[in-house]
Amino acid sequence: MEKKITLLALLGLMFTTTFFAQNQIISGTVIVAEDSMPLPGVNVIVKGTSNGAVTDMQGRYSLEVLPNSILVFSAIGFVSQEIKIDGQEELNVSLVQDTESLGEVVVTALGISRDKKSLGYATQEVEGEDLNITNQQNVLGTLSGRVAGVQVTGSSGASMGGTQKIKIRGVNSINGGDEPLIVVDGTPISNSNFSGSSGADYGNLAQDINPSDIASVNVLKGPAASALYGIRGQYGVIMITTKKGKKGPKEVRVQVNSSLMLEFAGNFLPKQNMYGGGSSQTFRTLPNGDPYVDLSVDESWGPRMDGTPVRQVFSFYPQDPTYGQLTPFVPHPDNIENYYETGVNLNNGVTVSGGNKNTTYRLSLNDTRIEGVEPNTELKRNNLGLSASLDLAENLTVSTNINYARNEAQRPGQGSEDGAAYLNQWFQRNLDMDRLRDYKYDDGTILHWNLRRPDSDTGEITNFDPLYWNNPYFNAYENLSNDSRDRFFGDVTLSYKILPDLEIRGAIRSDMYTQNIENRTAFGGTGLPAYFVGKYQNKEWNYELLAQYNKKVGDISIDGTLGGNIYNRNYSYLSQATAGGLSAPGFYNIDASIDRPSTTSYKLEKQIRSLFAMVSLGYLDTYFLDASIRNDNSSALPEDNNSYWYPSISGSLVFSELINWDALSFAKFRASYAQAGSDLSPYRTTLAYGVGTVYDGINTLYVPDNLNNPDIKPSFSHSYETGLDLQFFGNRLGLNFTYYKQRNKNQIISLDVSGASGYESSTINAGLIENDGIEISLSGKPIKTNDFSWDVIFNISRNESKVVELAPGIDVYTYGSTTYSSVTSYLNSYEGKPFGSLVGQAYQRDESTGEILIDANGMPLYTDATYDFGTVLPDFTGGFQNTFRWKNLSLNAMIDFQGGGQFFSRSKMLGVRTGQDPLTVAINENGMNVRDPLEDGGGVKVTGISAETGERVENFVDARSYYRNVLGRRIYEEWLYDASYVKLSEVRIGYTFGAKMMEVLPFDSVNVAFIARNPAMIWQNAPDGIDPSAISTGSQSISWYESGQLATVRSYGINLNITF
Amino acid sequence: MMKNIYIILSLALLFQSCDNFDEDININPNLPSQASGTQLIANAELYLPGLSSSPKGEFLAQYLAETQYVGTSLYPQESTSFYTYYQGPLENLQTVLNNRENLSSVGGPVDNQVAVAKILRAYFYWNVTDRWGDVPYTEALMGSANFTPAYDTQESIYLDLFEELKEATSMMVSGSINNDIVYDGNMENWRMLANTIRLFMALRLSEVDPDLAQTEFTAALSDGVILDNANNLMYHHLPEANNQNYWYGQVVNQNREWWALTEKLVAQMLPVDDPRLQVYGNPARANDEFVGLKFGEEESIGTEEYSLLGSDIYAQDAPVYLVTSAQVYFAIAEAAARGWVAESAEENYNMAIEQSFLQWTGSSEGIDSFLSQPEVAFDAANAIESIANQRWVHLYMHGYEAWSEWRRTGFPIGFESPNGAEIPLRLSYPSNESFNNSDNYEEAVSRQFNGEDLIYGKLWWDQ
Repeated sequence: MEKKITLLALLGLMFTTTFFAQNQIISGTVIVAEDSMPLPGVNVIVKGTSNGAVTDMQGRYSLEVLPNSILVFSAIGFVSQEIKIDGQEELNVSLVQDTESLGEVVVTALGISRDKKSLGYATQEVEGEDLNITNQQNVLGTLSGRVAGVQVTGSSGASMGGTQKIKIRGVNSINGGDEPLIVVDGTPISNSNFSGSSGADYGNLAQDINPSDIASVNVLKGPAASALYGIRGQYGVIMITTKKGKKGPKEVRVQVNSSLMLEFAGNFLPKQNMYGGGSSQTFRTLPNGDPYVDLSVDESWGPRMDGTPVRQVFSFYPQDPTYGQLTPFVPHPDNIENYYETGVNLNNGVTVSGGNKNTTYRLSLNDTRIEGVEPNTELKRNNLGLSASLDLAENLTVSTNINYARNEAQRPGQGSEDGAAYLNQWFQRNLDMDRLRDYKYDDGTILHWNLRRPDSDTGEITNFDPLYWNNPYFNAYENLSNDSRDRFFGDVTLSYKILPDLEIRGAIRSDMYTQNIENRTAFGGTGLPAYFVGKYQNKEWNYELLAQYNKKVGDISIDGTLGGNIYNRNYSYLSQATAGGLSAPGFYNIDASIDRPSTTSYKLEKQIRSLFAMVSLGYLDTYFLDASIRNDNSSALPEDNNSYWYPSISGSLVFSELINWDALSFAKFRASYAQAGSDLSPYRTTLAYGVGTVYDGINTLYVPDNLNNPDIKPSFSHSYETGLDLQFFGNRLGLNFTYYKQRNKNQIISLDVSGASGYESSTINAGLIENDGIEISLSGKPIKTNDFSWDVIFNISRNESKVVELAPGIDVYTYGSTTYSSVTSYLNSYEGKPFGSLVGQAYQRDESTGEILIDANGMPLYTDATYDFGTVLPDFTGGFQNTFRWKNLSLNAMIDFQGGGQFFSRSKMLGVRTGQDPLTVAINENGMNVRDPLEDGGGVKVTGISAETGERVENFVDARSYYRNVLGRRIYEEWLYDASYVKLSEVRIGYTFGAKMMEVLPFDSVNVAFIARNPAMIWQNAPDGIDPSAISTGSQSISWYESGQLATVRSYGINLNITF
Repeated sequence: MMKNIYIILSLALLFQSCDNFDEDININPNLPSQASGTQLIANAELYLPGLSSSPKGEFLAQYLAETQYVGTSLYPQESTSFYTYYQGPLENLQTVLNNRENLSSVGGPVDNQVAVAKILRAYFYWNVTDRWGDVPYTEALMGSANFTPAYDTQESIYLDLFEELKEATSMMVSGSINNDIVYDGNMENWRMLANTIRLFMALRLSEVDPDLAQTEFTAALSDGVILDNANNLMYHHLPEANNQNYWYGQVVNQNREWWALTEKLVAQMLPVDDPRLQVYGNPARANDEFVGLKFGEEESIGTEEYSLLGSDIYAQDAPVYLVTSAQVYFAIAEAAARGWVAESAEENYNMAIEQSFLQWTGSSEGIDSFLSQPEVAFDAANAIESIANQRWVHLYMHGYEAWSEWRRTGFPIGFESPNGAEIPLRLSYPSNESFNNSDNYEEAVSRQFNGEDLIYGKLWWDQ
């Protein structure tokens, strides 16, 4: 009964507003102030009532009002206006674009523009301008610290566009394969990576996006935001929107952007400079009695570098000016530093943009040339971008985005055994890098530093083949690694506005590239001469059809989307490698292979067909409710079980509309729930045999080590998210807070199983990883005067990834392992523990005291490779961005930070093992050098509990045996480091010339800036010489150990930006 | 409004029937989905040289000493993986056995394919259990049916292997198989190999169960064993990179002069002018003489001053000897000395050395004068030791087998103990087995070695 009364009352109210308030009709046209174009979709409301109308395609409106009403004109992205009618019958209004509130419209999944306040989930947007303050090559790298919840692990600038890995909200997949989907103007593009853990780092493919084309990047962090991407969006989406031309009076804008930067290698691992190459402190001697440096030893456990005249490696080459001569045995403290050169990075870009009444266009051209800090390395990149739109008819628009990128590079090798990275690991402190630079004598003999010992009869060396290591310059100039890539991506879209409220959009989207990789191993160095060539082609097509319906009925707004998508991927490659050597020096071709070359030809096809729908309801611009559903059919799943549904629901409440508190400009509460999924690569549901070595015409086949699974299902994630968005004091202070919990179930993993089952691993659905975390983003304008302003954005996020369950009967999942010198360490996940435990050999410790156990020789004892050192994932990550403006001068500074996480450093370990590290020449408790003989008070003091007697022992042990055979080889506990850091990653100091200047110059605006990229590590816990923010190696998606990291690169330069 | 509905409906129709893809869209076009029995067997055979070619085996038998980066030869406590054998050859062979019904006789009589698969499977298992002890066997190689196979006792594995080998020979029919890398499909060779493996396995039980050992030994002997080098199980490498000798890759491709003959080996062979020494090693470059390096020596070792690995041993196409007639004669000699067979121990001993000469040098020239030297001549009073010493010389480069025979007999004596570390008695289980198969692993370790998976645990037959 009560309900009915309420209903009647409500009806009565409605009648009141509709019947009693009509007195006159007012109509008019709303136009855009900037270009006088009609503006459709403007809300025209009588203030204080719910009476209103929406402008049509011609910007026209009309409604009945009281003569003294006030009309409120509002539209997303425009400054609202309130105008009193005062009896007028026609009221034309021009709305000014609101640059401040433009940020309030966000591009969400599938390119649907939404009012930010209506969203029930967290997204965070970064302006292109902020990303591009120092012209970084790889757009993902620039996101570091700029978005709460996004963790970026980079790599050294020395590889020129190397790998940048991105994770959203922690590790959501047990196998680490949880990279977000990258979408540019609605087109999903590939972010694959062709690099391994050693060799050249080719980088992730998203770097083909021209950073200066980016208008904004919006990160859809959780499944609710990315639900409309279904099976491809489980791990979040990075939505990139490029800059476009603008409609308006015919006007051409030309912008030129140039920067020149110098790049310097820095942050070297400290080295000792007392003892040189060799394995014993006494020199070996030639038959004539002359001492010589033991050039067969690639370590620095040799004699003291006290200037003694000795035969050094160069003196054994008859072609060398010092042939046969004794030269002083002295340190070359900067020998590793001297290898590096000053790099040059030149970037030039031109854009032309404009539009008229029915067209827009923007054309951009960019050219980047880098000469790397390692000798003979370079990268050339060209980007060409075109985006254009044309109104074919009043309600029919065709638009296109076409991007072309070309990369051509010659890159340095990284990793333990490659390029020059080995110098930190195996080298002699006495070697003069300047002498190694001319690596080839006139007669073609290659100068190497690591040779067999001289003949004990003649004292001569006749075999100049290098023993274990090449001269690093030989690697740089002869063992080349080249790659190139041509890539197109973009779309053609047709949108048809059937009715003012209903638009249909059809798009064809494509991403295609051809990647070429070539490697050479030259005659005259270690290893067989060899040549490798690979050509990799990928084509992805998306055919998309979308209907969008937007309607406002009174206080209720309805947005509906219905659509479908067909995704088609064709990938193929042909790779070939010579076997058994090359037939002639300098002839790098598969035809030069001495034995049957190894070749692989591979092709892959995959399709996903999808249907989706979304409805969003709003009431009074205060209450919002969204629901979406998507159905995906993947060809990679088993045939009779390949169709799955992914729903989501979210809601928000703009409660600032409900409370009246002046300080609070905007406040929203939001909550969501969603399911998303992911499938697997094709061909993993049926058995196929491996093709083995061919033995003299006998073909062999083998059972593969991974067991495929015909019953595989897609993995599912369930996510819950809630948050608050607050703005205070007229948007001077903003706070976004999000709490989320994501349960990733039935992961498709290649689970390592006992090899005794006949298989190394099995593809299964297993496990549950739970992530929960918080994200806080604070933005503020602490100071805002006419002349001076200070803008701050501070992001911080914390995530905990917990492996709740693995497969039945299995409580450990091995993500990866690395073996060196027969000692293995693992990255494991244990049921019930955080994801990603670093596991390796630790000290054996006395149970009661925790002290190290010591063996009969006084050396520490170590455990098997089963000790769990804990997770490698950070506790929190974030960034701090500051922008200061004073008159025409501006300063931008970006600081990234990470707390916690750990990694293991093989470079540090081997530096100690080979006697290069300062630790190996320390002064001991007796005041003697640890390398001094034990009987003279030398040696390293080891204290602990004797494993045999249980007594406490303090003894001195031989430094070389201790560091070389025990600590530097077997006890990984010593070489684990905290990955926390605070880094100043980017600085820009710019000056924009004033209007007066512009009157004289033929330009609209000119900005000159000093820019610095990666200028300083403010604080780190790991030792000097290792950059914890750049331990990314190749395509491995979790960074947990460092080995042969490329040198840190710091870049400084100037940037000039001219618009006319 | 109706218009809208039509549009929406047609949209929906457009994307209908989405789950029907091309039938073979998810069939891997890059790899074969069918394999013949003999292709799988041939692939398993590729793993045969790996049973012998490993520095670790040479260190366990102290044939070779490390010249640089001395480490593995110091007998560190470290784990060694057996996964390669299960995932590689054993799984291939098991697949042949599991698909017996579907095998094609194009590759030769199906029974013969099965027999060869059984013999090779037994041979690999025998090697595995002799290195690690109890290992997964009855529950192994079952794929998704059992990812955590239990460990069988070595005793039960031995008993079953005897039966498997007997079954293999009894099922053979006439006709050869194709695609056979080691015996070119000759089933008579396979029959002799199966019996010879039984013979060696029987001898291995001489200490733990002499009665069983004798029974199995005489049975194998009467079934016909390898008595001529022409029937040896050996793996011929090819002079090309894809099928080359392991040691060629190490010494020539990687320029590693890391291995010298041990002092003990040279001391055994040089004084008696053993012609095999010329094959085993190269003279030291410094003085052109044979100089052995003390095993486990760590300080300032030169590569000029010692005899490094012989050029014939590291040749790209050098053969790898696995089951040889010389071993058979040594085994018969030992059985005679033990009174198991009515044969002359001395004659078989002499025959063994002659076969070894022929195998290694291609000639038996000077065999009589060699055998007449007191250091070499058969010593009936210390028969087992004489045989073991010469067997050790013969088994050069098949370190794992020589090590097993040392563990069984305790001879030769006088090996080095680097830094006090004795020669290990087994290999430790793979470290990842402790988390991939933890319950069974722990059970096996506690059953055999009191809970400690150490390299000094004693195997069942080594009691």
